[in-house]
Amino acid sequence: MTRWIRDYGVYAAVLALLVFNVLFTPYFLDAANFRTQLVQVSPIVIISLGMALVIGTKGIDLSVGSVMALAAALTALYLGYGAAVALVVALIGGAVAGAAGGTLVAYVGIQPIVATLALLVGVRGLANVLVPQLVEFRNPDLIALGSSSLFGVPLIVIIAAALTLVVAFLVRRTTFGRQVVAIGGNRAASELSGLPVKRVLVLVYVISGLLAALAGVLATARLQASDPTSLGMFIELSAITAVVVGGTPLSGGRIRVASTVMGALLMQLLSATLIKHNLPQSWTQMVQAVIILAAVYVTRERVKR
Amino acid sequence: MKRTEPLLEARGITKRFPGVVALDDVHLALGAGEVHALVGENGAGKSTLIKVFTGVYQPDGGELRYNGAPAGFASPLEAQRAGISTIYQEVNLVPMMSVARNLLLGREPRGRLGVIDTARLYGHARAVLRGFGLDTDVRRPLRSLGVGAQQMVALARAVSVDAKVVIMDEPTSSLEPREVETLFGVIGRLRESGIAVIYVSHRLDELYRVCDNVTVLRDGRVAHTGPLADLNRLKLISLMLGRDLAEVKSGGLTRFNRDQGAVDGTPVVEARGLTRRHVLSDVTVSVRPGEVVGLGGLLGAGRTETAKAIVGALPLDGGQVLVAGAPLPRGGTKAAISAGVSMLPEDRKAEGIIPGLSVRDNIALAALPSLARAGVVSDSRIDRVVEIFMRRLRIKASSPHQVVSELSGGNQQKVLLARWLAVRPKVLLLDEPTRGIDVGAKAEVQALIDELAGEGLGVLLISSDLEELVEGADRILVLREGAVVGELSGENVTEAKIMAAIAERAHD
Amino acid sequence: MSRTAILAMAVLVTVAGCAKGEEPQTAAAPSSTAGQQVVKTPTGTAEGPACTLERFGGAAFDLKSATVGFSQSEKEANPFRIAETKSIKDEAAKVGITNLKVTNAQSQFSKQITDVEQLIAQGAKLLVIAPLNSDGWEPVLQQAAAKKVPIITVDRKINAKACTDYLTFIGSDFYEQGKRAADKMIEAVGGKGKVAILLGAPGNNVTTERTNGFKDRVKEKAPGITISFEQTGEFAREKGQQVTEQLIQSNPDINGIYAENDEMALGAVTALKGAGKQPGDIKIVSIDGTRSAVQAIVDGWLHSVIESNPRFGPLAFETAAKFLGGEGIAEKVIISDREYDQANAKDSLGEAY
Repeated sequence: MTRWIRDYGVYAAVLALLVFNVLFTPYFLDAANFRTQLVQVSPIVIISLGMALVIGTKGIDLSVGSVMALAAALTALYLGYGAAVALVVALIGGAVAGAAGGTLVAYVGIQPIVATLALLVGVRGLANVLVPQLVEFRNPDLIALGSSSLFGVPLIVIIAAALTLVVAFLVRRTTFGRQVVAIGGNRAASELSGLPVKRVLVLVYVISGLLAALAGVLATARLQASDPTSLGMFIELSAITAVVVGGTPLSGGRIRVASTVMGALLMQLLSATLIKHNLPQSWTQMVQAVIILAAVYVTRERVKR
Repeated sequence: MKRTEPLLEARGITKRFPGVVALDDVHLALGAGEVHALVGENGAGKSTLIKVFTGVYQPDGGELRYNGAPAGFASPLEAQRAGISTIYQEVNLVPMMSVARNLLLGREPRGRLGVIDTARLYGHARAVLRGFGLDTDVRRPLRSLGVGAQQMVALARAVSVDAKVVIMDEPTSSLEPREVETLFGVIGRLRESGIAVIYVSHRLDELYRVCDNVTVLRDGRVAHTGPLADLNRLKLISLMLGRDLAEVKSGGLTRFNRDQGAVDGTPVVEARGLTRRHVLSDVTVSVRPGEVVGLGGLLGAGRTETAKAIVGALPLDGGQVLVAGAPLPRGGTKAAISAGVSMLPEDRKAEGIIPGLSVRDNIALAALPSLARAGVVSDSRIDRVVEIFMRRLRIKASSPHQVVSELSGGNQQKVLLARWLAVRPKVLLLDEPTRGIDVGAKAEVQALIDELAGEGLGVLLISSDLEELVEGADRILVLREGAVVGELSGENVTEAKIMAAIAERAHD
Repeated sequence: MSRTAILAMAVLVTVAGCAKGEEPQTAAAPSSTAGQQVVKTPTGTAEGPACTLERFGGAAFDLKSATVGFSQSEKEANPFRIAETKSIKDEAAKVGITNLKVTNAQSQFSKQITDVEQLIAQGAKLLVIAPLNSDGWEPVLQQAAAKKVPIITVDRKINAKACTDYLTFIGSDFYEQGKRAADKMIEAVGGKGKVAILLGAPGNNVTTERTNGFKDRVKEKAPGITISFEQTGEFAREKGQQVTEQLIQSNPDINGIYAENDEMALGAVTALKGAGKQPGDIKIVSIDGTRSAVQAIVDGWLHSVIESNPRFGPLAFETAAKFLGGEGIAEKVIISDREYDQANAKDSLGEAY
């Protein structure tokens, strides 16, 4: 039973929330409403994908919110060269931050939570130094990235969906993906089996940094302003929640990509439901806490077995 | 205290863990001023017995007596308060605090207002440590000292808390020869002042130098107890290994069935002068194609370390590994594996299986790069390889997709063998390949080793099972304290000769 | 480690060196005297006995040569704090204060306490403090009182006794701001309809007072208006955008949005644009008076903005000078905040901060 909850509980919960909303929330079935929910959840989905990889190695990446802010800052700084250049620079920034975290973890041997906590503080600081206050912009390409649609589906949602497929492929079908899971499952055994453990670890954090930076650019494009001071605050917690609620254990050795996306959707729907019914935000937080505990409880069962 | 009654006594102690009886009716008597050796191979029950003495475990049966009265220690703290001190292999002090604070932690001299009187603290610490041959600045943090010196601080601390019994678990494993001498001096003084010592070590020379009596544990039972002087080394080793000298069989109990003729050809792997401080000294091993080379020796003699050094999983201070004549680059096991040298580790759980992954993924793990194109794995190729090995090794699993942790120990071991065979090695280093698996699986694994060697694979076999070693190996190197002390081949490959080589007095 | 530091510096220099942002939007630079604060309740009115140097118990000193400390509470990352710090610095320079020491507590109250203690230790004769919290100041106040250092708190009050523990408070009345925003909203929606509130950060007295002022006024003046939605936007633009997106989905009949600061209002504007709304479809009233918000009035997206004026410099030093010159000072100096709407936004753009 707990096994079923672990594997399909998040799908059931999303379904239950959808049914509730269809019945009790006015205008919920509007296409525009689904667009809103998907657009809002997309940056979290993108970050959660990287987080799932990192957690699969038994690590954690607390720096993702700050990397978003760094990407926002770099976007504002380089927008003069055009949106494409700004995007590339922002992604490079994210990759460098990820490489720094990965190196600290893999080569220096610092615990992931400590290494990325240092980055959480440092990278946010760097972003604030680069762009001390909110900057608005009018670059039409960048605004289009945040607001245009293809066949009625917002570009941001298409990007998030495509990345989900890419990461799922990476996990299931590539040497790299198998190695990530093996390292999380048993690092000593992976080392003895000749796996390039350190390289894989660094790469995982680089991917997480890249995805966080992309999410930062997309959120910035959507806001039509670069706001490194508050962009991505506490988003690492949302991403970790999505991964855990999706049934990926924090103890590593297992990655559930589709369920992670569902976990993010569940949290988005939950918060939307409470907002639409005009309940205070503190309620959202309390319900979230209950769901996280439930998720951790059912994944714990697996570890015990 | 009555003279007839021992200071600390175990009477028929039994301790069970789920699935195993760790201690079975164990008797041990320790008198004041006695130095008592406690010996036994892996899993014999030494550490469990120590933990019963120190209050970590509560016995399931039998009686613990201390100072002539029944005693039960509910916690390590209680045992310590009663006067039983323990020094572990790993120093467990506070590395950031000063040497003096560590030495007197919890008993610091205090001045008015309860403030620590640092002048007295340092003075007292200096005096205590001088008695242990340690002349160091006691204000420095403990971690700035060498491991040996830290060990001495731990010892000084244990002894200086008014201990009546001191338990030393491999106290010399990280000490320099000079420090070992100091330790023996300290033990002598303890004996004179009526303190009892339980001394756990695998170094026979040390045992014979400092111990009065010995208790040999094997499979949770007492195999022998009595004065050490009554036992010669050979007898002691045969007791530890469970091989009676008189009835050493001439073979046939294992599935090894090869004509142990001479194997010709140049070595496929050759390790020269492997050296690492406190672990290995100048170990040279070579394995030829089709040859099974055994590594004999007691626990802690450096067998596992030798194998790890060969595959690059143990950093070295000196030495070189050649594969087919070419030196292997150091740093990581990848180079060794791609050169054709793989190691099956002793600890299946910690270093072998990836518990959450399927049988299939576990088998394919090391061979993944060769089963993928441009980083994308080929499911059909993996399935083929997995199928071949599951059939050949007769791995019993409901399907290749069953999670490996659900398999029996024997089948897990076969999965690991399959993992290594899938990379088509030239040499396999097998560390205790049959430990902890059932009889049937054991025979299958032994037959497989035979078969693989017959096909030209070089094998380095590490086993504490002397019979397995003798019947499986063409040639045996005996290790003691990290050095090769004997090489046996041809007719000399017998259990008696191995034990004799282990027993041989060092430096004779 | 130093190599890493050098590398980091190099990266920073490179990153900043070849950066090229967008051309700034053309807006008139604010003239130095523009938007200056005006006192609403002037010195020495019925607010109780005025505080004189004699009553306070200190000795007069020359402001120009004295050490003056300014303790800022939050990082200068939003227009309000930037303008506030700049105003203090500019005015100090103008008055001729040569030794102004400025600290920033980075939103940590414990840091602000140490900051102020250090300013006192460095011999500050006058302290201007923008407090992060209202409570917890006792230890600092005692140290200042022992040395007879007058303290002027700006923008937020501290819970202590004026003229004894500190000299006076200069700031806006947040409750009053909420009331005035309500007046504007009533005007905008014609006295009836559905209105949503984007609340500030929870547990903040600015949020509480701006909310209460608004609600009380609506209840009193326009019972035809129902407040059908209130959710926090945490004073941040992105959060304002996200909440507004949800709001207009589930409440398409909403007539007005009251945002408790400009950032959330601007986030709401982005959300409305994204949903294909036209300027003026939903009336937005907010508080602060930042340049971007005033520009949004000009563009028709915001209906009106109640100002919360951060330029405390002139009034703070003027008050200090009067006090040192022997005049009495009221225990509260409430400034009169202006408002921007369609009528004056374009002309006032240069005065917004």
